[in-house]
Amino acid sequence: MRPVTLKRLAWTCGALALVLLATVAAALKLGAVPISVSDLLLSMGRVAIGRSDRLPTEYRLIVFELRLPRILLGILVGAALSVAGAGFQALLRNPLADPYVLGVSSGAALGAILALIASPHLPLVTPLAAFFGAAATIAAVYFLGRRGGQLDSGTLLLAGIVTASFLSAVIMFLMTTLASRDLRGMAFWLMGDLSTPQAVGVRSVLVVGFLVAAGAIYTTAADLNLLLTGEQEAAHLGVNVTRVKLVVYLGASVLTGLAVSVSGAIGYVGLLVPHAMRLLFGSDYRLLIPTSALGGAIAIVLADTLARTVVAPTELPVGAMTAMAGAPVFIYLLRRRLR
Amino acid sequence: MSPARSWAQASVAKPIASETSFLQVTDEAGRRVKVPQPVRRIVSLAPSVTETLYALGAQERLIGVTDYCNYPPEALTKPKVGGAINPNLEQVVALKPDLVVVTKTFNRLETVEALERLSLAVYATDAHSVEDVLSSIERLADLVGAHGQGEALVASLRARLEDLRQALAGRAPRRVFFVVWQNPLISVGRRSFLADALRWAGAESVVNAAQDWPVVSLEEVVRQEPDYLVFAGSHADEADRTFEELRELPGWRNLRAVRERHIAVISDAVNRPAPRLIDAVEQLARQLHPKAFAEKHEKRSSKSETRAPQFATAERKELCPCAQ
Amino acid sequence: MSPSTSGPTAAPLCPPAEARRGSAEIRLDVERASYAYTSGEREAPLFTLEATSFQARQRELVAVVGPNASGKSTLLRLIAGTLKPLSGRVQLDGFEASQLDPRTRAQRIAVVQQESPLLFPARAWEYVLQGRHPYGRGLRFETPEDGTIALNAMAQVSAEHLRDRWMNKISGGEKQRVILARALAQQPLLLLLDEPTLHLDIGAQVDLLQQLRRLAEENRYTVVVVTHELNLAAEFADQVVLLHRGKCLRVGAPAEVYHQDLLEQVFEAPLDVELTPASRPRVHVRGKRAKSAG
Repeated sequence: MRPVTLKRLAWTCGALALVLLATVAAALKLGAVPISVSDLLLSMGRVAIGRSDRLPTEYRLIVFELRLPRILLGILVGAALSVAGAGFQALLRNPLADPYVLGVSSGAALGAILALIASPHLPLVTPLAAFFGAAATIAAVYFLGRRGGQLDSGTLLLAGIVTASFLSAVIMFLMTTLASRDLRGMAFWLMGDLSTPQAVGVRSVLVVGFLVAAGAIYTTAADLNLLLTGEQEAAHLGVNVTRVKLVVYLGASVLTGLAVSVSGAIGYVGLLVPHAMRLLFGSDYRLLIPTSALGGAIAIVLADTLARTVVAPTELPVGAMTAMAGAPVFIYLLRRRLR
Repeated sequence: MSPARSWAQASVAKPIASETSFLQVTDEAGRRVKVPQPVRRIVSLAPSVTETLYALGAQERLIGVTDYCNYPPEALTKPKVGGAINPNLEQVVALKPDLVVVTKTFNRLETVEALERLSLAVYATDAHSVEDVLSSIERLADLVGAHGQGEALVASLRARLEDLRQALAGRAPRRVFFVVWQNPLISVGRRSFLADALRWAGAESVVNAAQDWPVVSLEEVVRQEPDYLVFAGSHADEADRTFEELRELPGWRNLRAVRERHIAVISDAVNRPAPRLIDAVEQLARQLHPKAFAEKHEKRSSKSETRAPQFATAERKELCPCAQ
Repeated sequence: MSPSTSGPTAAPLCPPAEARRGSAEIRLDVERASYAYTSGEREAPLFTLEATSFQARQRELVAVVGPNASGKSTLLRLIAGTLKPLSGRVQLDGFEASQLDPRTRAQRIAVVQQESPLLFPARAWEYVLQGRHPYGRGLRFETPEDGTIALNAMAQVSAEHLRDRWMNKISGGEKQRVILARALAQQPLLLLLDEPTLHLDIGAQVDLLQQLRRLAEENRYTVVVVTHELNLAAEFADQVVLLHRGKCLRVGAPAEVYHQDLLEQVFEAPLDVELTPASRPRVHVRGKRAKSAG
């Protein structure tokens, strides 16, 4: 009998954090432009002691302006999508739920397209508009997904699927009828793409948003364990079911909206990472949420590094890598458990 | 795949110049750009730009091109930085260019902004007509310090266009349907430089759409009954094969142009706003109005003869949004 | 007490039961509690549970019996505090059940229902440990005491050996015990069970009821069991509440409630009732043979 304790949580997260660190180091080193480990360490050192002006410009640009921000973005996006996926799987009582099933990504895409139509020259507008699109979808699906005044898993799922289809149709319509030159980039974005550097303001919003939303979901982690045994059972054990469902719905949707606004819809991460973490560390949500966050970060950084290097200098979209790499890993983990 | 260059090598290639002067220009997308002078290292992120730079004799200074820059053949040996939509920013930075040239049509705003944030000068060209293409070439020539060559090139291109205009004077334009892609059926919109190129060739596109690459319905084409179908392709045989396939298909086989075999095949240089566009225009004009050129046959110099175009399906895919 | 001669036409009010054992105070007081399900504001009620009253003490086991759709589950939910009575009151040790906050309520009332299928595999000990949820603070990491309580709960129902087993791999009877252990881990005052014998064989059914009796005695619970097993109720219950179509027809000791005419009317079946030497009634379905008057 090994219940989850704070100590166990700390050790597990510590171990995963180390893996993440190693992955980040590898990601910094690898890329279309090779940088040796010694060069990397040297420049890290220079930056650390405040002598970054001694670095050759391109090197500083590549590592600190291109790779590092991209890696950090990948960490945030991966963590957000995985926590959202874990949350939706509990909320919808469905192991196949992923962050996009409720239509949030379609709403974000529509927001981004509308922004491109209205003012194609403003850079910050796209993530902002995408997030508003996501927020509007969240509200709409919430009101559609209620039954008897509170969120009902079955109704919510249906409402989300219908909304997603409808929004996708609208997006198709717009992409076909409008001046296509502005929207060619959209196709790339829709597949999931981390290559667009984001302004610093956007990054801060991402970090804060992630901490708040993921933190809110984490406060309900113990309740989610009970919720999964049945809503009535959970209520009898003292869980405020209505409040918990609302918190998880909002938190997971906001996380998804944030991630999609900056990187498009990267697939499979939100679905597979929570399952992989369950197979490795158990289904207890008090452990699952932090491990999913770290696991998602590791997965995205790995996938993005592969996407950048496998056929360099051509870049593959991250979404393709997550699908290709994720499925075999999952099958392996599944078989290991069934043996 | 060109070998990736280590950042150390790149830094040796260029002496660090602390005193560089800058030229303030406004590019064709309306953006203000500070271009370091003189321009010694250029990266091109569009095939048309690569072609133009070669035509201007500036190829020595061209240090990076996209995977799709395949004309002239020498361009294939230049270091590659990825696609036009998704160039590898690291590669571009590692090459330490003075100037990066893009086109508003084929490159993304995000790429431009990202490069600017990395303190690189990015100049965008944007041509909506044949005249635009010519002035674009002139401006680019001035920018990279090839003023003389630019002047000469544009002058000769203008002369050819003038000849063309005279040859076609008084002749009614042919109504054509330009087939960019078959499935789905994509043609050209009225605002693209392609539509203008068609006009210069004595043709008029039957498609009058605002989008650059409109998807049209076959019914509409049948209703319009164009005089000619125009295909852009790398080989004449390929176009022949396409035509043979089309002839059997319902809808297509009802077209008068198909029944009477009124098809024109031109070099796919017509898709690029570069000097070879004029070649393609002349090629098309000659097929649509053969009688106008019967007498002028001897006067043609070798320079304006259409060179055998290179086969490059990648090029066509790049231009087609549907294949993204 | 002689069986009452009045049949189902007796007044619907149920008089509270008399003191049965010692002078233990009333723990559960249901006084004229009623409820109505409606589909809308102005609609006629879909189903009504009319004013029902009974009282129960510590260590008592009450059985709520009746045919389908008689209001048993509704009554249970009123007692559990998940429904607020339309009129009347349901009080546990003086506190209105529906007005307790969820956390306190979960510390006092434990409900055992047919469990929904588990979405993700869980071990038995994990499941039982969830019973400690109402006592947790903050992120609710369980303390060693919680672990001990959970193990003790499993021991009380003889399920200790199941603790490392996966919930989806144990038998129905074993699962029933683990679910019961979870309820015990809540350390409640009131234990409510909704049709706990549904999927059990007769041996397991008897086993369960014997356990409930024993637990009521040892842990001083008040146990309320909703069941349609008339004979089990008769054998093990101190009180029986008989419901029929939303009306409470009779409350009292099994021998008082199980009258042939009443039962035949309520269950619409030919039934015979006989008394065992221990004054517990037994209900039989009447066969083709004519039975001598009992």
